[in-house]
Amino acid sequence: MIDDILHIFFPRTYTLGNGKVVKEKFNWAPYITIAVIIFSIFCAMATSVDIPRLIQRSDAFWDLIREMMPPNWSFWKDLQKPMIDTIVMSVLGTVVGCLVALPTSFYLSSNFELNNVYLVGHRGLLSLLRTLPTLVYAQLLSIVIGTGTLAGTVSIAIFTYTICVKMLYEQIETVDMGPYEALQSTGASRAKCMIKAIYPQIRGYFWSTVLYCFETNVRSAAILGYVGAGGIGVQINEQLTWRRYGNTGLMVLVLVITVVIIETISRELRKKLVQG
Amino acid sequence: MSSKQLTVQSQLDKFPSVLPKFIIGLLSFVVFYILTTITISFKGINERGILIAINAFKGLFNPSMKVITDLGQYGLLQMLFETLAIAFLGTVIGLVFAIPLAFLASRNMFPKWINNICLTLISIIRAFPSFMLGIMFVKSIGPGAFAGVLSMAIGSIGMLSKLIIEVIEDLNPGIAEALDAAGCSTFEKIRYGLIPQLSSNIISIVLYRLDINVKNATILGIVQAGGIGAQLMFAIGARRWSDAGAMLLGVIVMTVVLEYFSTKIRTRLAGQKG
Repeated sequence: MIDDILHIFFPRTYTLGNGKVVKEKFNWAPYITIAVIIFSIFCAMATSVDIPRLIQRSDAFWDLIREMMPPNWSFWKDLQKPMIDTIVMSVLGTVVGCLVALPTSFYLSSNFELNNVYLVGHRGLLSLLRTLPTLVYAQLLSIVIGTGTLAGTVSIAIFTYTICVKMLYEQIETVDMGPYEALQSTGASRAKCMIKAIYPQIRGYFWSTVLYCFETNVRSAAILGYVGAGGIGVQINEQLTWRRYGNTGLMVLVLVITVVIIETISRELRKKLVQG
Repeated sequence: MSSKQLTVQSQLDKFPSVLPKFIIGLLSFVVFYILTTITISFKGINERGILIAINAFKGLFNPSMKVITDLGQYGLLQMLFETLAIAFLGTVIGLVFAIPLAFLASRNMFPKWINNICLTLISIIRAFPSFMLGIMFVKSIGPGAFAGVLSMAIGSIGMLSKLIIEVIEDLNPGIAEALDAAGCSTFEKIRYGLIPQLSSNIISIVLYRLDINVKNATILGIVQAGGIGAQLMFAIGARRWSDAGAMLLGVIVMTVVLEYFSTKIRTRLAGQKG
């Protein structure tokens, strides 16, 4: 057993009967594992990980859950409006973002032989914007255009645009270009060829991308209220400040149920879209 | 000549009418318009807003060198490292919990009732909003990076185990049988039969999740769970635009560099497999 473990690090050499020496293949994996463990310990020190404190304070965590757990059902009346706001924000943001992304992604695909400088520039800009979470846009926009649901919707739309374009142009680059060339030979304009020859090939994929973005956005829209961009986050922030954990419990419950319902519906629809 | 025109005409008539599509489009436009009116109130951008926007634009493109070169606790490098550390440690701890959970939830490893319990647990973890976990940990063990690590670890379990289950269910049982027939010990069976089949897939899943976690670690700051997020939000809220610009630049550079390397490693792993 110990021998086995030692030979993970130091490859064995065998001498065969005819005097030939066979070396085992050298493997980096154990060294990488050790490096990861050392880096984890270093990170643990940097983030002041404190296991005794976790055990000591775990009572407080369960107390918090116990206070939340019989949710305060009477709060449901005040909850409807922000919940609807959250969903509408993500629906509108997703629709606007994806509708703008659809035509743009055609002009960002490399298989139509368009202007290369524009292509690289726009793609580079989008990959920079993609690194920022929705929350940062919401914070910036809530200062510039005022707090409220509009800031949230616009920030969701921007974020959706950046990820939707990438998913779409990667798909468009894999389509069959035959129909496109056939249409072009009849003298149709480039935009017409794209609509009639390329769009039908990515239609299912496009709608499944829309659903995927919607799923992601419902999750991220919940927190946008923290920076004043509307939705249920405003309420969560307020109720937590007032230490009304019963109300918070109800909000978390409603949020979890909404996410599960939307995810289930979208998963079923996406299965159908991929098949059809 | 005339017969040819007639064929074109008849083909055109066969083409389905666009009217239903047009009506659906119009109806959905009306629905979205109504949704807009009930939710979104737009008061118009006043002059102050435009002024703020101009200032913000100027500031964001003039990142403050003071923040970038500062090596103290609120310097850019230290905050970025803390964010990275939260994401990395969260992913590693999440993986440690996700692998046994994924084995328990795989149909080819354990009986059905154990699978169902584990799958329910995974879907509850997945649906629970991760910032809420952050809030709960901050409330119970106090603000700081440790709370961020814990919430990130639990938040990662859901997706990691869901993707690892797929890998485990694709395992080839023939290899373990062949090693058995060759007289290998259990240790050797795991070393030469199981790990080589799983490792490249699991590494690429983990790198993918690490990418996501680095992005999410910025969000955790808003609930005081450590990382660069809190300082970034304060800077934007207080309209210290050049500080905010420096931090945004840091976040963008870190994420792009990480994404570049993780994509490169993942393509290499995928190539190795094929």
